[in-house]
Amino acid sequence: MTTHYLVLSALLFAIGGVGVLVRRNAIVVFMCVELMLNACNLAFVTFARQNGNLDGQVIAFFVMIVAAAEVVIGLAIIVTIFRTRRSASVDDASLLKY
Amino acid sequence: MEPAEFITHSGGAIGVAWLMIALPLVGAAVLLLGGRRTDRFGHLLGVVTALASFVVAVLAFVQLLGFAPGERRRGIALYDFIPGMATKVGLLVDPLSISFCLLITGVGSLIHIYSIGYMAHDPGRRRFFAYLNLFVAAMLLLVLADNYVALFVGWEGVGLASYLLIGFWQHKPSAATAAKKAFIVNRVGDFGLLIGIFTIFATFHSLKFAEVFPAAHGASQGTLTAIGLLLLVGACGKSAQLPLQSWLLDAMEGPTPVSALIHAATMVTAGVYLIVRSGVIFQAAETAQLVVTIVGVATLLAGAIIGTAKDDIKKALAGSTMSQIGYMVLAAGIGPAGYAFAIAHLITHGFFKADLFLGAGSVMHAMNDEVNMRKYGALRKAMPVTFATFLIGYLAIIGFPLLSGYFTKDGIIETAMEHNAILGWLAVLGAGITGFYMSRLVFMTFFGAKRWEGDAHPHESPAVMTWPLIILSAGAIFLGGFLIVGNRFMTFLSPAVGLPEHLPEFNPVSLTGLVTLALVAVGAVFAWFRYGAAEVPAVAPRGSFLTAFARRDLYGDALNEALFMRPGQWLTRLAVFFDNRGIDGVVNGLAAGIGGSSGRLRRIQTGFVRSYALSIFVGAALLVGAWFVVGNL
Amino acid sequence: MNGTIQAPTIEYALLAPMLVVFGAAIVGVLVEAFAPRYLRSAIHVPLTLLSLAGAFALTIWQAAAKGIPTKAAAMGAVAVDGPALFIWGTILVLAFVSVLLIKGEDHFVAAASAVPGSAEEEQALHEGAAHSEIYPLVLFAVGGMLLFPAANDLLVAFVALEVMSLPLYLLCGLARRRRLLSQEAAVKYFLLGAFSSAFFLYGTALLYGYAGSIDLAKISTAVGSVGGQDTLLYIGAAMLGVGLLFKIGAAPFQAWKPDVYQGAPTPITALMASGTLVAAFGALVRVFWVGLGGLDWDWRPVLYGVAILTMVVGAVLAITQTDIKRMLAYSSIAHGGFLLVGVIATGKAAAQNASALSGILFYLVAYGFTTVGAFAVVTMVRDAGGEAWHLSRWAGLGKRSPLLAGIFAFFLLAFAGIPLTSGFFGKYAVFQAAVSGGALPLVIVGVVASAVAAFFYVRVIVLMFFSDPAADGPSIVLPSRGTAAVVGLAVLATVVLGVYPQPVLDLAHSAAQSLFVR
Repeated sequence: MTTHYLVLSALLFAIGGVGVLVRRNAIVVFMCVELMLNACNLAFVTFARQNGNLDGQVIAFFVMIVAAAEVVIGLAIIVTIFRTRRSASVDDASLLKY
Repeated sequence: MEPAEFITHSGGAIGVAWLMIALPLVGAAVLLLGGRRTDRFGHLLGVVTALASFVVAVLAFVQLLGFAPGERRRGIALYDFIPGMATKVGLLVDPLSISFCLLITGVGSLIHIYSIGYMAHDPGRRRFFAYLNLFVAAMLLLVLADNYVALFVGWEGVGLASYLLIGFWQHKPSAATAAKKAFIVNRVGDFGLLIGIFTIFATFHSLKFAEVFPAAHGASQGTLTAIGLLLLVGACGKSAQLPLQSWLLDAMEGPTPVSALIHAATMVTAGVYLIVRSGVIFQAAETAQLVVTIVGVATLLAGAIIGTAKDDIKKALAGSTMSQIGYMVLAAGIGPAGYAFAIAHLITHGFFKADLFLGAGSVMHAMNDEVNMRKYGALRKAMPVTFATFLIGYLAIIGFPLLSGYFTKDGIIETAMEHNAILGWLAVLGAGITGFYMSRLVFMTFFGAKRWEGDAHPHESPAVMTWPLIILSAGAIFLGGFLIVGNRFMTFLSPAVGLPEHLPEFNPVSLTGLVTLALVAVGAVFAWFRYGAAEVPAVAPRGSFLTAFARRDLYGDALNEALFMRPGQWLTRLAVFFDNRGIDGVVNGLAAGIGGSSGRLRRIQTGFVRSYALSIFVGAALLVGAWFVVGNL
Repeated sequence: MNGTIQAPTIEYALLAPMLVVFGAAIVGVLVEAFAPRYLRSAIHVPLTLLSLAGAFALTIWQAAAKGIPTKAAAMGAVAVDGPALFIWGTILVLAFVSVLLIKGEDHFVAAASAVPGSAEEEQALHEGAAHSEIYPLVLFAVGGMLLFPAANDLLVAFVALEVMSLPLYLLCGLARRRRLLSQEAAVKYFLLGAFSSAFFLYGTALLYGYAGSIDLAKISTAVGSVGGQDTLLYIGAAMLGVGLLFKIGAAPFQAWKPDVYQGAPTPITALMASGTLVAAFGALVRVFWVGLGGLDWDWRPVLYGVAILTMVVGAVLAITQTDIKRMLAYSSIAHGGFLLVGVIATGKAAAQNASALSGILFYLVAYGFTTVGAFAVVTMVRDAGGEAWHLSRWAGLGKRSPLLAGIFAFFLLAFAGIPLTSGFFGKYAVFQAAVSGGALPLVIVGVVASAVAAFFYVRVIVLMFFSDPAADGPSIVLPSRGTAAVVGLAVLATVVLGVYPQPVLDLAHSAAQSLFVR
């Protein structure tokens, strides 16, 4: 029964998505995005199982690498702004508006 | 004989016919954008571009002669503004357009050269040459266009140049007013032309000559008549024909070379060009043709009558221009039998009238810009070259045997006589009046006693002004005979406008011709007794009511004022009222509404990244939802 | 499955333009690692420009000499077809121009790690330090831009999307002045970009589950044949759409655009507004027309709504902007909406699709050049605090510097789509395709939005020419040769494409004629 995995993946994706919306700390927001990516990975692997080919599993590897690259960039940006503002809250960074 | 086919062409001088337009246009652009830096050589640049344009025109003419007569309509594709729409712009070089090109660039170059001397002391000389160049470019576009849109662009371009040049001395209120008047009256004509063009497009779904003309016979009589009349309105505006004639006399406020080039030789003949170019449409609409001939005859008489009463030398010449264009319009209304005479007269008129105007300019130059002929007199000794060339122009315009006007005007009269006797006799009458008013002008200016004002020291003009006069008068002598004898011009023009069923024979001793000559002689002798032999009073006598009628331009202005200006003023006041209250209210309200919603909406952009993420999240949900709704429909 | 693995065939020649750019980027990284500090810029600038020019030459060579391939390259992963080649050429030229702008002035921070206003920063400024890493970063981003519109399967598209975006996130945060804004822009762009690409990826996963493949062609066949799993298909397609529409800044996913465009260093904004938009539209059209081509009855109404919303939001919100860069950002949103009109203008006939596609391609070229030129002008109008962004500072610019103000006014008129500018033909081509595709109401909205947009463009022109200049108004810096070349080139492109568009229209048309390979 692969459906359960799909439901779990959807749940993870939703939790990640809601987390982005409700959490203030930039690092946590970013971790929520990572959670969403991993939800995707779970979906890929599940569908690979369902479809009977390996594509999905290979894709999951690609996604992991991309996610890792994203972490590097993301942390660099977040650390820079943290050093400037002494705060990692995404709500503080709101000079650009209207 | 029907006009020839349109042939796509490339290569040679015809292939670069666009240079004719581009060269003066570049000249104008350089002079206008270059500012004072170009003051030193501005006039020379203006002359060089006009001359270069003339050279291209001559080369194109020679190349055109190299083709068989049936292959002399050469279309040049230039530019495709919007692919697949009726906006392909190209040029059409055919006998008709090349004749105009030669006239415009040839006479135009001479007048450019003349202006070097005439405008020598004017601080705005560079600007003057820029406008002249602009005019030449626009006029060439008008005659070279292969469709009505480009023609209209040229049409508006010459109108603009004319407006700028009439008002060239803006510091004179009369010049500024005259420029405005010319502009407004021309608007009326242009509006007619524009609606005519719209109607053509609505009827034929094309504006290219090559597509409209072959299809013309397929349209209904009513449509063709409407198109013809609308085009005629346009022609009347540009060519100062009744009832849109009133601007031309005031246009004499512009510098004299302008009057010679624009308001005598070229621009005012654009209406004739339009009628002849659209000949296929007019030939298919008899009513329209009839109206054209009536307008022509009425104007030729009106212009002549106005010419008899004017003391201002330029205004007298302007009346004469109206009258002569009336002849051309009359001929153009007759059909293929008249086209060649209309254009031939247009060309010879371009020469002798430019000659006369430039001669008048030379006189004014000598007389401290005095224009009142009552203050001239006995100038033939002081200015021999001007006098001699002026005399030639005079003899040519009254139709003295073997000079240009004799051949071309007589041709028109003969053709009109054959077409309709009433029109013919009225044209003969007009010729007689021409004999009178032109003789009056010459006698008042060059003969009789000196009536000069205090400090006038008339002198001959410099060579840069007299040489153009000499060349123009040479044209005034020989061109007419060259074009008309043996139907040379008619044959040349036939690929563009077709041929009449039987070719006219030139008959030097026809009844009409003899009567015309006699009437002209009577007019001239009458003028001699009144203005040559007798003393000319310094102040114009009151004269009969007829004289007053003519002096007031046949009450044309009064009529315009009563019929159009006063009601127009009321209308504008009404319109302004409604515009302020109604339309502006709506527009401003709309703008304020959008601005207000913009001001409120931009608050959504809170600057918080989480709210942006929310909008993405909600947007994604909406997208998924919409997809389901659409997918399950 | 007998244990032997077939080595994949890769058409290196076809991929050469991309490989050149990526190769140069990697060389750039090595230069960063091994070359002495004082030599780096001297190596990077020619390396970057030469690689972009070389890639462009290879693209032209491919298109002109070798013909347009009819089969996707690299085992069906990358489709180097007519539209892709056209888009590559466009992106490479725009990137080249943007690099000229990047090297033009000191737009970039001396030491990104130094806290703004700290002694550390002071020292870095004093030493004249510079982040020469920007050049390889730009090259990586450009490489991603090349791959994105050519990606023929969704995984390659995702990787390309990230390769394109990640360097841009960093570059956004590297402005020399107003560093707080710049860093904020980077954070916002990064978080939202990552968020949206998660949607893209989840959509990919669902489509993979639906079709059993991520290959666009196979998805396309599956749309016609697989039944009963519409839920997967609809959600997957919609989420994929979220990721793509985010990148082009379509409403309601446009929120990042004004903030990021304003905060980022202006040359990077120019690169994003031109190159990224072109790449994203290339990918959007490919995914929707090829992968989801059989589903057009479903996505067309959805995009219809998105296009209307985008045009209206872009045009209306631009009116009350007081910051020149934000205004240009909203204008970019509106233009994204106009381009979406072209995406919707598909039909059953191949000729209709070709004319819509060629309209989009032409629009992208026209808009790309004009927008780079406009941002280049923005870099030149400065006061003590750097570039003068506030519109009130632009008042009376026409009196101070008629030439520059005239050029900017010309760009604005091109944005507004006045005839005889390139913008006119772009709009005309797209709207005409939409009308013949039966999307007349959309075109009407588009024309109204254009009219509203024209209002704020003209407002800026009026401000520049008919207001009195402020006493302490901004000065115009004498442009470096690079910046001057950028402005000149943009003016030239805007004029030529407006007066004599035929060659480029023909090129776009012949590129679009083959449509997409599968």
